[in-house]
Amino acid sequence: MGEYVWFHDVSWHSAYAIYFFFIGILAGLSFLSYGSWITPALRPLREKAAYISVVLLGVGGALLVADLSQPLRFLNTLNPFYMHFTSPLAWGALNIAAFGICSVLYVWTLFKKEEKHGKLLATLTALLALGLPIYTGYDLSVHQSRPVWNTPVMPVLFVALAVASGSAAGSLLAGANAAAQKILREYMLWSSAAVGVVLIGILGTTNYGGAAEELTFAILTTGTMGLVFVGFGILGGVAAPVGLLLMTTGRQHRGILMISAALILVGSAALRYAILMAPQQMQTLF
Amino acid sequence: MSETTKVSSQAAGKSHNRRFAMVVDIRRCIGCMACQVACKAEYDTPLGVNRTWVPYKVTGKYPTVSRKFLPRLCNHCEDPPCVRNCPVGATFVVEDGGFVLQRYERCIGCRSCMAACPYNARFMLPSHRTYTPITNVVDKCTFCFHRVTQNLVPACVQTCIGRSRVFGDINDPNSEVSYLIATNPTQVLRPEQGTKPHVFYIGADRNQTEFGRDGHKPIEVMEQERSAFKLHFKI
Repeated sequence: MGEYVWFHDVSWHSAYAIYFFFIGILAGLSFLSYGSWITPALRPLREKAAYISVVLLGVGGALLVADLSQPLRFLNTLNPFYMHFTSPLAWGALNIAAFGICSVLYVWTLFKKEEKHGKLLATLTALLALGLPIYTGYDLSVHQSRPVWNTPVMPVLFVALAVASGSAAGSLLAGANAAAQKILREYMLWSSAAVGVVLIGILGTTNYGGAAEELTFAILTTGTMGLVFVGFGILGGVAAPVGLLLMTTGRQHRGILMISAALILVGSAALRYAILMAPQQMQTLF
Repeated sequence: MSETTKVSSQAAGKSHNRRFAMVVDIRRCIGCMACQVACKAEYDTPLGVNRTWVPYKVTGKYPTVSRKFLPRLCNHCEDPPCVRNCPVGATFVVEDGGFVLQRYERCIGCRSCMAACPYNARFMLPSHRTYTPITNVVDKCTFCFHRVTQNLVPACVQTCIGRSRVFGDINDPNSEVSYLIATNPTQVLRPEQGTKPHVFYIGADRNQTEFGRDGHKPIEVMEQERSAFKLHFKI
């Protein structure tokens, strides 16, 4: 026997990655719904984006609560006597609750066709939606012992992923609306490019870090996780859609836009999964 | 073996000054795992999880090989990331003694503390237990708070046959832990994390205390065994 190690389970499993994915899409859709008040071309997306955003919040919230080993105690996070504001999760719980209230009120005004309060609530909802990817990014980056998670660009990456996946979902919803697709193409292109730039930065600093960083880099880029991260995430979810979207410069091609949107959605899910799991796998080796 | 916590008369009257620590003298550890068993018995820790564990690594090449042990437990850090990351204040530091403890009735099971701990010292309790209703919450080593407050040493320290584990008040200059730390070169785990751990090791092997660059590669010794096995059985 060469070695005896004690097996440590990872803290957060794939349910958390799915939650990150849903939160990203709903934040992106909230931005689009708010954008429809500023940009007339996005007007057809206003109601659809807002309704789907609320549904995704319900599903994502239920997933998050179910992932707790004491699901009924999720209310503890909103108990003023228990709140512990050094934890990003405490801020996140408040952010989700406030976003939920605002988005339900916003959907209600849309349903009642009350234009008067609609824009104000859309603005509030979009601002609170911006907090969701930021808090999820901080939720990882405060864990300073984990390579990749501990990079300060993690909230930026999650915001870029939210814009990319929200725009992709919006593109699938916009269908044949050429004016909306033209704007969404720009959003998808630039946000996916931003995701690519941040990922290159993270991979560079990780590969040239210490032993733990190098191990995380190896886990991220080889084996099954390498297929998920590099294959589905970087090549399939960033490089391919950026290339396809650049091909459509100056003309509309609905099929290519749809393919790019689908690739971005699959890729952003893969990236979130890999970024969540790889640093945890590395930690199990210690 | 000492069964009681050594607190000098000078520090005994100033309870607010106490800061408990453990020194693990690796040179004296024989890998009997009695500490692990004593801890399991003390807390009825379920199968599959441990408050303390003793991993080992065989280093060197035959005939100059040695087995390096590294008893592990919660480091009861001065600046614990698990406490910072708990959203509901379910984990906290006891001012007198520096114990990092868990409020089971408040824990929501989000596992944020587990993710924050650089030492893998925290674990999730299973949903079914025989003798206690404490289930589905995060648990960890308490430095045997209930024993130490009764002037007893932790269960693992009491049972350690090689007297490898020594426990006491690091703020008491006359305590054994103070003496050991003052007179021996000591190591702590992952000092780069800035957590200021309070478990000190004497003679710990760097292959054990640090991340190895070959962490995910097959272990050479095991590979040799595997090759011999395959060769023997013509696989």
